[in-house]
Amino acid sequence: MIAQQIVNGLMLGSTYALIALGLTLVLGVFNKLNIAHGDVFMFGAFAGLACAAAGASFAVAILAGMAAAAIVNVLIERFCFHPLRNSHFLAPMLSTIAFGIMLQNVTTQIWGSDPSRFPNVEATAQLEFGGVLLSSVQIVILLVATALMAVIDVVIHHTAIGRALRATAIDREIAGTLGINTGKVILFTFLTAGALAGIAGVLTANVYSQITPHIGIRQGMIGMVAMVIGGLGNLRGAMLGGIAIGVVEILNDAYLGAAYRDLVVFSLFFGFLIMKPDGLIPQDRTLRA
Amino acid sequence: MKSALKAFAILWAVSLALAVGLTPASAATYRIGLAVPVTGTGADAGKREAIGAHAAVNAINGAGGINGSKIELFFADTGSNPQDAVNAIRKLAGDDNVLAIVGPHYSGVAEATFPLGNRLGIVQIAVASSKPGVAAANRPFAFRNTLTEDKVAAAVVAKFKARYNPKNVAIITDIKDAVSRAIGTAVLPAALKKAGIKILNEGDPVTFQTGDAQFTAQITKLKAMNPDAVGLGALGPDALNIITEARRQGMTQTFFGTAPLMEGNIPEKGGDTVAGTVSGTIWDYTLADEGSKRFIADYEAASTLYPGKFTKRPDYYAVNAYDAVFMIKAAIEANAIAAGGSDLADARKKIKDYMAGLKDFDGVASSGFNDVGDGMKNVHVFEIRGGLWAPMQ
Repeated sequence: MIAQQIVNGLMLGSTYALIALGLTLVLGVFNKLNIAHGDVFMFGAFAGLACAAAGASFAVAILAGMAAAAIVNVLIERFCFHPLRNSHFLAPMLSTIAFGIMLQNVTTQIWGSDPSRFPNVEATAQLEFGGVLLSSVQIVILLVATALMAVIDVVIHHTAIGRALRATAIDREIAGTLGINTGKVILFTFLTAGALAGIAGVLTANVYSQITPHIGIRQGMIGMVAMVIGGLGNLRGAMLGGIAIGVVEILNDAYLGAAYRDLVVFSLFFGFLIMKPDGLIPQDRTLRA
Repeated sequence: MKSALKAFAILWAVSLALAVGLTPASAATYRIGLAVPVTGTGADAGKREAIGAHAAVNAINGAGGINGSKIELFFADTGSNPQDAVNAIRKLAGDDNVLAIVGPHYSGVAEATFPLGNRLGIVQIAVASSKPGVAAANRPFAFRNTLTEDKVAAAVVAKFKARYNPKNVAIITDIKDAVSRAIGTAVLPAALKKAGIKILNEGDPVTFQTGDAQFTAQITKLKAMNPDAVGLGALGPDALNIITEARRQGMTQTFFGTAPLMEGNIPEKGGDTVAGTVSGTIWDYTLADEGSKRFIADYEAASTLYPGKFTKRPDYYAVNAYDAVFMIKAAIEANAIAAGGSDLADARKKIKDYMAGLKDFDGVASSGFNDVGDGMKNVHVFEIRGGLWAPMQ
């Protein structure tokens, strides 16, 4: 059973990693926390669901979820961060809380508060590897999440836009004087972070059957936990943190019980903040390094 | 000049007298409160309850009201949480001066609002709360027009045993939702033991939290136990996810539970995946008696209050709200309470006393209350068949 539970944890962790990646991108480049990130994840999931319900393929549902979430994330930048860029540092963060609640309510008006379900989620092939059971959708989620993490890593560390993004993260003003269009970098950051949240939303909804307008609250918080455990502003750390939290949650549920889940996860969160604030991966590997 | 002034004064006085005499006095109404959630996680269920209550008010007012006076329904959103619910009860009792309140919805919310109702001296008739002991702990003003889950569980386990004869059962339960937790940790184990069915994980149920997005760990654990059947302490939406994951992992066992399992249209959403699942409750829209037909017609007429697919079909919570309004009407009539009467505290106390003795009410799915304020109702056991909760033969 332990092998199956670890695989279950890797599945769950890979969606957490995608959420944490988006959060980390915005925090790393912009030095601001988007509290509504979990709700962007939720909205992407519903956009994908709407497409799937209309008969679209899984691939189209994923693209729709990514696009919708990316657009919403850009709206967050336009309406929450940009107008408040010269305000108290807490103001943009607080405005994203309000935006997230508005998004939950808009979604409730459209899709209702009862859980909504992707069509044919149960129609997936089951594969067995040495006693460990995997569904075809679980394999897709693992492959897509791993591929996305690899692509993001390559883009950030080995491309021109990645260099521009890291330069903006280090010092936006100096990056501007060096000819980098920091406005476009920020737009790219929010688009990418939103798209990552959107695909995580669609994959989560597909693997785990149902979504509600309130599903993003906890997912966003877990994304933050993963980000802290991996190392604030550290993309590879966010991936590692997401996967670690997924495995910890699953093993907790299997061997301790769900009643202890939040105690364990948030104790880790607290413990890392107090005793190892740099997270699992050292600070010299962050976007700002 | 003097006579002109005198004539003007007389004219003014006559005009005033005529004005007062001709202006119709504002018709006194019977004020009833409605405290259910239309926001938050329970919004859809709360909207159906609100439609149920309005359907009853419309039916009563359409038939002439109570002794010629109309019922006026005052609403306050409980927001699916105890804090908002407490404010809602304060508003209805203190600002709107209602005679009695239909609501709240959740057991967890009722545990907060019932003590307040006792302090304010106003009857609340909860329409969904079914955790055992909640009304009993809050005498004398707390009532629940619901059946406690122990009674539902006894009926479900009896029929389930007769059909499947399981030798052993594993239990999975929510540890966050008050009523589901009570079902999984106390109600189902007691009913199963009484029926002589072994519980494989007695005292150590597999656990999850309301609204969890995934259940892989829990199902892997359940599967390893290889039970004959699985008992659920879960709300419908979570149960749907649990059963779906179980089928994915290759479990073929039948799942069973009690009333909360019937929330959220599992048969429609789950299709073949959930076929055979067994549950029990006091009412379902598939029942075809005269009272049910009348209620469904009234509900459909009132559904313009919250139109949409989420409120299209009434559930047993809506029928509880519908019956609760009629119970309050019966209390007003039996005590000859005057519309807009001045002694509100006395009227509220009379309604409380009436409810405490109500045993033979002829509602759609309600007969009155037992000695601890819980509803007296018939249990119907259902199984998912043909995409519906169909009565279990």
